[in-house]
Amino acid sequence: MAAAGVAAGALANVLANVLANVLAKMGSGMGAILSVPRDSLTLMRLPDSAADSVADLLDVLDLTCLGEARIVVEGAPGDEETDLGESTPIVFVGRSQKQAHGRVFGGQVLAQSLVAAARTVEPVDGVARPIHSLHAYFVRGGDDNHPIRFVVERVRDGASFSTRRVQAVQYGQTILSMGCSFQEPADGMDHQDPMPPAPDPDDIPTLAEALGEHLDPSAAQFFAARRPIELRHVEGNIYVKPGRQRAARQSVWLKARAELPDDPVIHAAVLAYASDYPMLEPVLRRHGVAWQDPRLRPASLDHAMWFHRAPKADDWVLYTMSSPSASGGRGLGVGRMFSADGALMASVAQEGMLRLKEG
Amino acid sequence: MRSGDPCAVVSGRHTLGVVTDTPAAYAVSDLLDILDLREVGTVHTGWAVASPSESPTAAVTADIATATATATAAVADLAVEVGAGSRVARVFAGPSQKQRYQRTFGGQLLAQAIIAAGRTVAADPAGAGRPLHSTHTTFLVSGADTDEVHYVVEPLSDGRSFSTRRVSALQHGTLLAIVTASFQEASPGLDHAEPMPAAPSAESLPNVAEALAGVPEPYAVVCILDGPIELRHVEGHLYAGARPDHVARQGVWLRSRRPMPDDPIIHAAFLAYASDYSILESVLRRHGTAWSDPRLRQASLDHAMWFHRPGRADEWVLHAGHSPSASGGRGLGLGRMYAADGTLLASIAQEGMLRLKG
Repeated sequence: MAAAGVAAGALANVLANVLANVLAKMGSGMGAILSVPRDSLTLMRLPDSAADSVADLLDVLDLTCLGEARIVVEGAPGDEETDLGESTPIVFVGRSQKQAHGRVFGGQVLAQSLVAAARTVEPVDGVARPIHSLHAYFVRGGDDNHPIRFVVERVRDGASFSTRRVQAVQYGQTILSMGCSFQEPADGMDHQDPMPPAPDPDDIPTLAEALGEHLDPSAAQFFAARRPIELRHVEGNIYVKPGRQRAARQSVWLKARAELPDDPVIHAAVLAYASDYPMLEPVLRRHGVAWQDPRLRPASLDHAMWFHRAPKADDWVLYTMSSPSASGGRGLGVGRMFSADGALMASVAQEGMLRLKEG
Repeated sequence: MRSGDPCAVVSGRHTLGVVTDTPAAYAVSDLLDILDLREVGTVHTGWAVASPSESPTAAVTADIATATATATAAVADLAVEVGAGSRVARVFAGPSQKQRYQRTFGGQLLAQAIIAAGRTVAADPAGAGRPLHSTHTTFLVSGADTDEVHYVVEPLSDGRSFSTRRVSALQHGTLLAIVTASFQEASPGLDHAEPMPAAPSAESLPNVAEALAGVPEPYAVVCILDGPIELRHVEGHLYAGARPDHVARQGVWLRSRRPMPDDPIIHAAFLAYASDYSILESVLRRHGTAWSDPRLRQASLDHAMWFHRPGRADEWVLHAGHSPSASGGRGLGLGRMYAADGTLLASIAQEGMLRLKG
């Protein structure tokens, strides 16, 4: 506990520490740029503005191709069933955003893996194949100080679908294992859930305004301006205090805080990145838990995402989420992402480990 | 990957659609039999760093060319980083069920992969007592229903509370599906569940024979009466024709047609198998089509399942399905499985390719 000489004005700092911890816990962009030593905030690789924070995210998604690796599978002698011979996955490398806790934000690895896979999918007869789904397991925590290699296996290129398997690796160990599928555009049956009613994002407090209740307004402004993704919670955020209602559902408006390049891969990757922020909040909200709860030990276990219609991440996106179940230390979140004009762009599902440790 | 149409499942004991004695009992024991996998041996998967191949994907050709020098200079570093070296994977094999379409049923691959992964977790001292809690599957191509499928199980991690496995389903060296499965030590924690939607009891719904009265053969005989899973649709089945209500949701009661052994992973495998029958029906229902529609071209693309609470597949389970979206020749189905007492057992998601030709 703090020494007796804590100045009155230090309250804002205490809250700022709490907040930084909170946001580090949920792996958000704000926690990403702060480290929290014992009694002061130290800034790390701090972008100067919203535009810089988006540029930083784009830089993280700009992977470098390292060449090919080789996978040799040796079956039992004479066993043709499992004789896969050699395959030559393509290896990319990327850096990480800094996190207060030193562990890579799951949404970042997810977005990078998506980009790595997409870079190996060629147009066929001039027709591009956009991503339509991904399934990932977060296998181990990543080190934010160490580059991540993305090993992309070209599993299949079929008549209309392409499948890729990506392993994100550090120090020779897999931290994320992902499968994703790409499809050439096609016609067919069309329907979607209607967008649920929600207040206009402009009528919802900005993060800076919302945090201003807990922080010195200038500090709140300072934090909020340095996130790549803006989030506006329709039912109020649960960073510091639990939600007013214990409902297992919520909606969040989100968008990149600066314009993104006109590349569908980047828009899909940024939606995947953003989807990981609040996906488990319906579980916390349902149980009256805030992110800052010191007992909370959260971790993402998996992530699935289906891209139904062209993704656009730099306009407002309504992300509606619910949690069908929690049990055994795990909680499931499912979500849908609508463009502001009501098109269902994506569906999301994620299971997280959510334990409340006593003492 | 053919899925969904239970008519696709034809017990190996029947020929030419002629039903022999006790088909239900046979179908369940047949499914139990194919889940009784045989261990074949091990394979070694070695990663190495290679010089660029002659014909890499064009998009990365330039990158690879410029990266050659770097990659060569950094071979040792990269080799360590990507985990070069030999990994050992256990291999299991199981026979396929006969199908009307001569293509392996997706639910079969899923169920067998779950068993294969579970065997390697249970065998590990750290993994014993870790039940399955989720699977994510990518279906690639259909296999031949006459031939065995091999399952190569690679350990991804064995942590303090979780074990994960990646299973490659192979036939003659061709990858049919990739199934990743996660197992967790039992743990207390937050608990809630969405309540079961209102539905008439399974007993109050017509049994399959009644539901199919008047449906022309071969559907009535080959389709459902033979399968290991009994299905009772709350809003009426879609085997013989479309329904007038074009809604993107439905309920189906299902259960194994005979009692099963107590092993929890067998029940999980049966539920996964059964989920592949009807998970896309909410899409068909929404668009006023049915399995019997000759224009329908359908295949499972993926499958995800979260096992929330232990359940029995030989007691009635309500599979409540909903489709949030269809577009671009694909449809997404979401489902929840409830025990008859309202306990939420599992959540399911599957995207399928669904086209109406002609």
